[in-house]
Order: sequence, then C-alpha cells, then structure tokens
Amino acid sequence: MVPVIHHPDYRAYCFGPDHPFSPLRQQLLWSLLDALGQAPEAIEPAPATRADLETVHHPDLIDRVEAASSGTPPPDAERFGLGTPDVPVFAGMDAAARLLVGGTVHAVQHVLDGHARQVLQLGGGLHHARHRLAAGFCVYNDLSVAIRRATSAGRRVAYIDIDVHHGDGVQWIHYEEDTVLTISLHEAGQYLFPGTGHVHELGRDFGTGFSFNVPLQPGTQDDSYREAFERVVPQALDWFRPDLLVVQCGADAHWQDPLADLLLTTHTYAWLFRALRALADEYAGGRAVFTLGGGYDPDATVRVWALLYLILQDLELPEALPAAWLAEWQSHPALQGVTLRERLHDAPRRFAVHDAEAIARQNREVCRRLMEMAVRYWY
Amino acid sequence: MLVRDIMHREVRTVDAGTTLADAYRLQQEYHLRHLPVLREGSLVGVVTDRDLRLATSVLHPTPFPDDARVEQVMATPPITATPLDPVEEAARLMRAHKIGCLPVLDGPDLVGIVTGTDLLDALIRLSGAGRPSGRLAVRLEDAPGRLAALMTAVADRRVHAHSVLSYPADDGRIVVILRVNTLNTHALAAQLRAEGFAVTWPPETPWSP
Ligand SMILES: [Zn+2]
Repeated sequence: MVPVIHHPDYRAYCFGPDHPFSPLRQQLLWSLLDALGQAPEAIEPAPATRADLETVHHPDLIDRVEAASSGTPPPDAERFGLGTPDVPVFAGMDAAARLLVGGTVHAVQHVLDGHARQVLQLGGGLHHARHRLAAGFCVYNDLSVAIRRATSAGRRVAYIDIDVHHGDGVQWIHYEEDTVLTISLHEAGQYLFPGTGHVHELGRDFGTGFSFNVPLQPGTQDDSYREAFERVVPQALDWFRPDLLVVQCGADAHWQDPLADLLLTTHTYAWLFRALRALADEYAGGRAVFTLGGGYDPDATVRVWALLYLILQDLELPEALPAAWLAEWQSHPALQGVTLRERLHDAPRRFAVHDAEAIARQNREVCRRLMEMAVRYWY
Repeated sequence: MLVRDIMHREVRTVDAGTTLADAYRLQQEYHLRHLPVLREGSLVGVVTDRDLRLATSVLHPTPFPDDARVEQVMATPPITATPLDPVEEAARLMRAHKIGCLPVLDGPDLVGIVTGTDLLDALIRLSGAGRPSGRLAVRLEDAPGRLAALMTAVADRRVHAHSVLSYPADDGRIVVILRVNTLNTHALAAQLRAEGFAVTWPPETPWSP
C-alpha cells in the first residue's frame, strides 16, 4: 500500500468559485475513490513552518502572503504576484498554502525516513511559485521546499514534471544545483504560460546540464508524447542516478483541458504512471513521491488522478464508474455544463489535427537537439 | 532599446602596427572574431578573423606574410554606431554592409562594441518572456485606436501585459503579440473574441474531437 498524504483543510486553498484551480477537483476524486470502495486512510500533515518556507522563498514574499491572509492585498502585493487574476488573495491564504507545502514535505520525509518507498500526496504540485514571486495559481512552491528537505539530507533528487505547463518555479529555484535534476515535458513556451522551458535552458554554474526541457507542439497526441518521454527521461535518469524521484502529475495535458492545447488521452496517463514507477525502480531504488498539479476539466482530471491512485496501489482498474457517484455529481450545481463520462478510460482515439506528422517531427527534432546539447555535460 | 543598453563596454583592440600573427593569436586566445584597430588611440579600422585568414591564404593572389601589419588588411574606414542609436538601426547597418560587428563611438572615443549575437539576444529580450506569462496573438486593423482598444479590453479584466510586440501582416493588418500575466489565456481569448477582436492565438478548437 502506498501511503497517501491528505488533509481535509486542503480545500481551503481556494481562490473563489470562478477560479479554475478549484478544490472541487480533489473533492470529486475523494468521493470517487470512496464510491469505488477504495478510499484510503490518509496521513494528515502539519503545515510547513516558516523556516521550511525560507529554505526556498524570500522572507519578503512570505511577509506579503501573511499580510494578504486578512483577505486584502498589501499595497505592493502585485510586485510579488499576489492580488492578480491568477493569484487573487483570500482570507487564510498563508495557512492554506502552508498546509499543502507541509503535505509534500511530509511525503518526502516519509521516504527519507524509510517508512515507505513511494508516497502519494493528494494535493500540491504548485510548480510555478518562485523564490520571490507567486504565479500561475501557485503561492508557495511545495515541490521545491520538499526537494530542499531531501537535498539537505544529502540526497539527489530527480524532479519530473508532466503538467502541461513548464515547471518554471522548480527549475529556476534549483537552476544552479547539481543535486537536483529537473525534467519538464510541456506545451512549448512560445504558445503557453509561463513562456519558458526551451531546450537551451540547461542550468547554470554547478547546475549546468541538470535542467532538461521538452517543449512540445500544440496538438501533440499520445504517440508523439510517449516517444518524447522515452527519448529523454530514461537517459537523463541513467546519467543522473537519483536517490529519489519527485513527480508532479498535473492532468492538464489531457485533450479536454480548457487551458492548454495538448491532446493526451487517459491511456497515456496510465502508461506514464506505470513508466514512472518502473523508472523509480530502475534508477532510484523504487523511491518516488507523486503530487497532484494542474488539471482544469473536472471530468478528465478526476479520471486521470483516479488512475494515478489505482495504479500506485496496484489495484485493478474498473471499466465503468459507479452509477451512484455519477448521478450524485452530474446534478451538482458546481458541475453545471460539465458532462461526466461513464468510463474511467477515454475511448482510444486519434484527433484530426492539421499536419499531425509535422507536429511529431518537430517534437522529435526538439528531443534530438536537447539530448545533443545535454550529452556534452554528461560525457 | 538603444545600442548602449546592449553593447560590451570592455573592448579589446590592436594597434595598426600589430602583425597579422599577433592579431590572430589575440583572437584565438580571447575567442574574438572582431578587433577594432587604433592608431595613436583613434579608431581607424576593424580586422576580423576572416580578414586575417583570407589575407594569408595560399589561394590569395599575393598572400601577405605573417609579419605584415593589420593596417594593411583591415576594413577602413570602419562602420560604427553611437551609444544612442536604436538597436534596429545597428541591425540595419550590419545588414547593409554585411558585417558582423559595430564599434561604438562616443565622439572620438571608442566606448563599446556590438556584435550580431548581441542583436539576437536583444530580439529574445524584446519578445519578452522575462516574467511568467501567457501569449496572446491578435490581428488588428491598422487604424487609430485599435491597439488602445485591445489594451483597454485586457486591462478591464485586470490582466497586465508584460510586453507588446507587433509586426505588419500580409493582409494590411498588424499582428500584435502580448505577453500577459495570466495562465488562463483561453478564457481571455474567448472574451476578446466576443468583443470582436480577431484572436489568432490561443486557438478555439484547431482539432476535431
Ligand atoms: Zn499546469
């Protein structure tokens, strides 16, 4: 059994009813696992301490988040990315963000202590938060704080990010470190937020060669995505030899996602989760921490994360979703306009995209270019 | 963006009387392709690694010996820029004269140098992904007030544009690329379309389900 980290108060990380990063997604997931008879006993984490946060974040940012927790942004909030359309302030913001950080830190500590080899944090994955800047729905960077916990214990961490957006916050925070390898697969920055994640972003100083970016074309489908993953990730892990993987499992590369333009089906997610476990076994002694992340179509996101949970627990995958669960949520006011699908998996499919072959060729060329540049630092 | 914002202020130079061999060694040692040439402290020319190799090549009808002086092979008078030239002017000069660098003169004084690579770096900066941002491409009528209307529509949603880049399209309209401080560019695009803006990125649904 892979331990699960979760706290009912995770739902307090909520930017309001019209914001896409909604706690409803976790609520849906939890109720689905329950309906499947698989609801886990979760470990409830403590919030991260200020000292934990300061291993990654500038005290000025933490001060502003604390001040904003009254529900009113301090005058210079926007300089820190707060009080913006993406990161509006809300009452209790600091506590809510700290609890998510605490969960990811707890997950990593659990592995460091040898209590488990793999842990699932059913929350967090706030990969856009930077040293002194909140951004892209992310206040504090739970991933980096947890990674720091591992590196300060002398461990080497490979961070793998399959969210559709570039994992920029994590990359920049560890950009000069040779104890953290970051790998991000994402829709290319010239098309999608945050605009970075180009192949030439390879790291700086001691960290040169420790940052891998796979920017993919809009319209990328299952085959091309899997090919890119296989061309880059196993080789990078083979070079780096981590003690532990930290994996951000954003579900927003799914074809239904309203915020981005990749076209993955649930079959590729299932494939990815199995591949990531196998890679952990092969290169990291089986040690891995999985977190959630982006994912803005409630129907797709809940199915992707249910797959994550079921695959990590080695459970059999049901074909259909429980009728009672579907009926309950389909009529829920928060899901107006959303159609919940009856099956866990998408029907296998290809999309009629303009020049799919050119998209696949470009992705292949990008991987080739990346590995050609990276190999110079590894031989 | 001006030349003074992107130029290198530490400039390695050679004297007009330097031998070709010494100039070449200097270029090798410091990985330089261009050397401004001074005579009594004043700029008189530029010598490139290519000038040196061509002048001494066995294929040259009358090859120069290694101990010839750089003033015999340099490009003179030099094409130069000033610190206050806009970078696009520097780009036009380099392109018109098919050269790879411009010494920067402030009056008689050599104060810097700009190379083609610096201009490429400037282009990357101008395209503006310095802060986490999403991208929006809109085709506008080339008419008064259209850009202002677009910026107002964006600002009305409390979205902030980190950078604005525009260029003329084939159909007489202008393409405006905004880098905006939001992850949710699809929603913003839908709202702008509803107000009649021709948003070309992000797309509506470029694939059929
Ligand atoms: Zn995302």
